Amino acid sequence: MSRRSVRYTTSPLLASKTPVWRSKFIVAGIAFGFVVLAGRAAYVQVFNNSFFQRQGEVRFARTLELPANRGRILDRNGLILASSVVAPSIWAIPEDIERDDPEVRAKLKQVAKLLEMPQKDFDKKLEDEDKTFVWIKRQVDEPIAKQIAALNLKGIYQRKEYKRQYPEGEAAAHVVGFTNVEDNGQEGIELSFNKDLAGKAGSRRVIKDRLGRVVEGVGEQVPPVDGKDIQLSVDSKVQFFAYQKLRDAVTARKAKAGSVVVLDAVTGEVLALANYPSYVPDKRQNLTGEQLRNRALTDTFEPGSTMKPITVAMALEAGRVKPSTLIETGPGRFQIGGFTISDTHNYGTLTVEGVIQKSSNVGALKIAQKMTPHEMWDTYTALGYGQKPQIQFPGAVSGRLRPWKTWKPVEQATMAYGYGLSASLFQMAHSYTAFAHDGAIIPVTILKNSAPPAGVQVFSSANALAVRKMLQMAAGPGGTGTRAQTIGYSVGGKSGTAHKQVGKGYASNKYRAWFTGMAPIEKPRIIVGVMIDEPSDGQYFGGVAAAPVFSEVVQQTLRMMNVPPDLAVKPLVMTQGVDESF
Amino acid sequence: MARLNLLLMLAVVASALYLVHTQYLSRQLYTELDRTQQEARRLELDRDRLQVEKRAQATPLRVEKLAKEQLQMRTTTPAITQYVRPDGSVIPAVVAPPPAPPAGPAPKPTARAQR
Repeated sequence: MSRRSVRYTTSPLLASKTPVWRSKFIVAGIAFGFVVLAGRAAYVQVFNNSFFQRQGEVRFARTLELPANRGRILDRNGLILASSVVAPSIWAIPEDIERDDPEVRAKLKQVAKLLEMPQKDFDKKLEDEDKTFVWIKRQVDEPIAKQIAALNLKGIYQRKEYKRQYPEGEAAAHVVGFTNVEDNGQEGIELSFNKDLAGKAGSRRVIKDRLGRVVEGVGEQVPPVDGKDIQLSVDSKVQFFAYQKLRDAVTARKAKAGSVVVLDAVTGEVLALANYPSYVPDKRQNLTGEQLRNRALTDTFEPGSTMKPITVAMALEAGRVKPSTLIETGPGRFQIGGFTISDTHNYGTLTVEGVIQKSSNVGALKIAQKMTPHEMWDTYTALGYGQKPQIQFPGAVSGRLRPWKTWKPVEQATMAYGYGLSASLFQMAHSYTAFAHDGAIIPVTILKNSAPPAGVQVFSSANALAVRKMLQMAAGPGGTGTRAQTIGYSVGGKSGTAHKQVGKGYASNKYRAWFTGMAPIEKPRIIVGVMIDEPSDGQYFGGVAAAPVFSEVVQQTLRMMNVPPDLAVKPLVMTQGVDESF
Repeated sequence: MARLNLLLMLAVVASALYLVHTQYLSRQLYTELDRTQQEARRLELDRDRLQVEKRAQATPLRVEKLAKEQLQMRTTTPAITQYVRPDGSVIPAVVAPPPAPPAGPAPKPTARAQR
């Protein structure tokens, strides 16, 4: 019997020897794995490390912006006219606000109250719960922002922003201008000097730790360049008084608007430039174009009789007349080119001085007829008419002065008394620097200026003096501008009353009242120009509507400039003037 | 040889630890510097704000209002003003205005006398 025996304790498989290649294969396999890993490591660490370095940096390095301060605007005495202050903006993540909590709801009410927002508007902003960012209010005053921060509400956050503050408010609004919410200049000096004021923001790269603290600066730092301070020639006190007196006069005369320009007759600096109506630069809701317009620079008008001294001065300069030359103005009317030009009275025979004093249209045109259009045009141009004033201010206009070749005789005649050409109040006041500065017209500037200005001689100093004397007579007894007189100081100036142009013709009942003059007349320190637009209480003559503003502005300005009075001081009683022509 | 190696290794370890410590210190100082700089900037802005506020309290409008209403002051006129030079000497009040006496005739006292 044969039996196959099976041994369970041994196995031929186990008895067979493992082939050597197997263990070698495993070792090789593992070694290969390591090589791949090492290769990968080398690739990551050495050959292609930039990707990971960048990724790392994204997680801990931050670029911080270093904001530049916007420069301040100062007046001539270094007082602040505009400066930036911190004004945090409040924003929210509506979905993060836990409205179900009554405590939170009470706090939200408080926030709305602090922000002076109607509860309805406030709720509306937070209505949409899907939104992740909502401005609640931009540029809030810092103390209020601090109170809101103290409430510690989840979902309500603040962002640091800056806003401009204008301590002088509406008085200096047209000079200073304002910036928008992005801190860019929009008007006035803020606009024209925006580049200098803005500065340049810097930046730096830092490494922040887990808690958001800056632990290290990396790379190079670009320091911020703060904006420069701009110092204006404007004196905030003069500016204020000029604005105040203008506002009172415009209101009292029920006029539409008005402007005042005060120039330093010695240096050509603008001491004040005010317009009414004005606006508060901080609060610009419901702003109208009427309020925004810087009329003294942007609006041009026919200057009327205020041009007459210029007509006379050019005739004196050309040697065609002397101050004592007699001009026949009777019978108070003059026919030219189908038009009749008339005076309010028949003044009979007047001297050249008398023509200015009584403001005779006929006299002025007869003097102009002694000149050629070319001569007149040259003088007007030298005095800055028909050109933009060289002043760094937005919106300054050139006015209208047509080429002399196209002048008709009647136009040459009307220009003698200020019709047929147009100018802004600023140009008008500027042209009078020629009289105040011994015949030389000096450049004007809105920036504080220490260097004496280089003038261009237009008239001889003797002729300038003669015209000043006429201006003094015009503002003196028997003249048209007696209300320009002021206690203690001798003044000289010329009133003007111009019919307003409406459409193609002149409106018979709409006027513009002007007064341009200087003080003290012997050695002028200031030139003041006043324009009142459409006085509608019946007193529309320049000598009545505009001259009192001149008087008050001169009084205050000279006092503030420490100019001693040059007249014996007596209680001022108005002398009886005459009606003026226009 | 082995001893030297051990020594060098200890030195390396010590130096490494010191480096870590220094790095830590430098970061701490940097954080401090940064905080202080921020504080300086905040104070600077605060100063600006306060200056504007101070100025807003002293605008001519407010000054005039307070002077008139609370202190019962009135605007001065040359009639009640004595003018002095910087050295303290009094400028005579009438007609001839020093320091430069006018070249022409005295400015029109006659014109005013007739009133």
